[in-house]
Amino acid sequence: MGATFVITLREAFEASLLLGIIYGCLYRIGARASFHWVTLGAVLGLAASLAMGLGVSFLSGPLIELGPDVVGAAIMFLAVVLLTWHGWWMRQHARTIKGDVEQHVSAAHGSRRIWVVGLIAFTGVFREGAETVLFLWGLMVEATSAAGWGSVVGGLAGVAVAAILGWAVFRGGQRVSLPRFFAWTTALILLLAAGLFSTGVGRLEGLGLLPITDPVWDTSWLLSDKSVVGSFLTGLVGYRARPSLFEVLAYWVYLIGAGTLLFRRPPAPRRPPLARIDLPPAPDPASSRRGTQ
Amino acid sequence: MTRSPWMWLGVLGAAALILGITGGAAAQTAEIPLTIEKNRFDPEEIRVKAGAPFVLVITNKDGAPEEFESRDLRIEKVIPAGKTLRLRMPALKAGTYSFVGEYHEKTAKGKIIAE
Repeated sequence: MGATFVITLREAFEASLLLGIIYGCLYRIGARASFHWVTLGAVLGLAASLAMGLGVSFLSGPLIELGPDVVGAAIMFLAVVLLTWHGWWMRQHARTIKGDVEQHVSAAHGSRRIWVVGLIAFTGVFREGAETVLFLWGLMVEATSAAGWGSVVGGLAGVAVAAILGWAVFRGGQRVSLPRFFAWTTALILLLAAGLFSTGVGRLEGLGLLPITDPVWDTSWLLSDKSVVGSFLTGLVGYRARPSLFEVLAYWVYLIGAGTLLFRRPPAPRRPPLARIDLPPAPDPASSRRGTQ
Repeated sequence: MTRSPWMWLGVLGAAALILGITGGAAAQTAEIPLTIEKNRFDPEEIRVKAGAPFVLVITNKDGAPEEFESRDLRIEKVIPAGKTLRLRMPALKAGTYSFVGEYHEKTAKGKIIAE
């Protein structure tokens, strides 16, 4: 029971952490009205995971053999792009919100793009969703004894606890000061995206699309990526005890590149020139006394 | 939206991925059978020639899906119940690479030795 609990907790937390962050960001910029985009994306992600699980199990052919690999890699890189965009978009909002006062997102503040958060939610859920669906399904198929059902309960409990943790992230984000919230979420998103990019590059090596490069170091004496904590870190931030050269390069290229993009000092914000108010010309005192002439 | 450059980039990228994966296998790639039965792998030790890509033909004889995963090789593949999938493996440098059945990690273990 404990083993299956850890597996589903790990997989589901990768999704629920992201959802907690996204919902939290929308909340803090006053865009609660856009929550439904995130919910829609997450639900579609779940549906797609179920469809993928069914497809892989019941269909055949080269497309079914290769499809999940291609889709999996594509989703990873798409998620990196989307997360980077999200980080950049949040920085734009952070600049227009002064001090600790939340302001409502006006129609002019790029809410045309707000549906993209739904896409982020989708990739977050779909990335590990198909695997988790198949895993739980397999557990149920095999549950012929008390121990078997214990595994199912453990697996479902893992998903439930992950959801609770995601909720905790969302609530925690509401209590922090606004500038700190923006700084922390941007940093977290950067780390998540860097890990994803690095893992995606590693996948390309595994798929034979990139040459396999040698491990650059070995920290398995410190933290094995097969341990519970290690595997959590692998899923969240792409930790590897023996990362390949390409993985290390990908991680740092992304972190430095996107970090510069998101954290550099912004140019002077384009505030509307408040000091210049065009008043109608002052009425001539002499003419007004003459009345309606 | 139909003329969006991003969409075309995505289509090209996916096509490149598919071509890259399918085009990689040469005609005489060695095929090595691997069976999953009673939540164990058979054989648990696979010997291959270093430097040559090969194909693992994995058959899952159990009633539930299993995920073949090798952290060392960055490969993950779900093998549904009762199915046989061909998994293209890249050319390996000499060494030992472990793999597990992620859904039954305690019993499903093995290693690939490239020499």
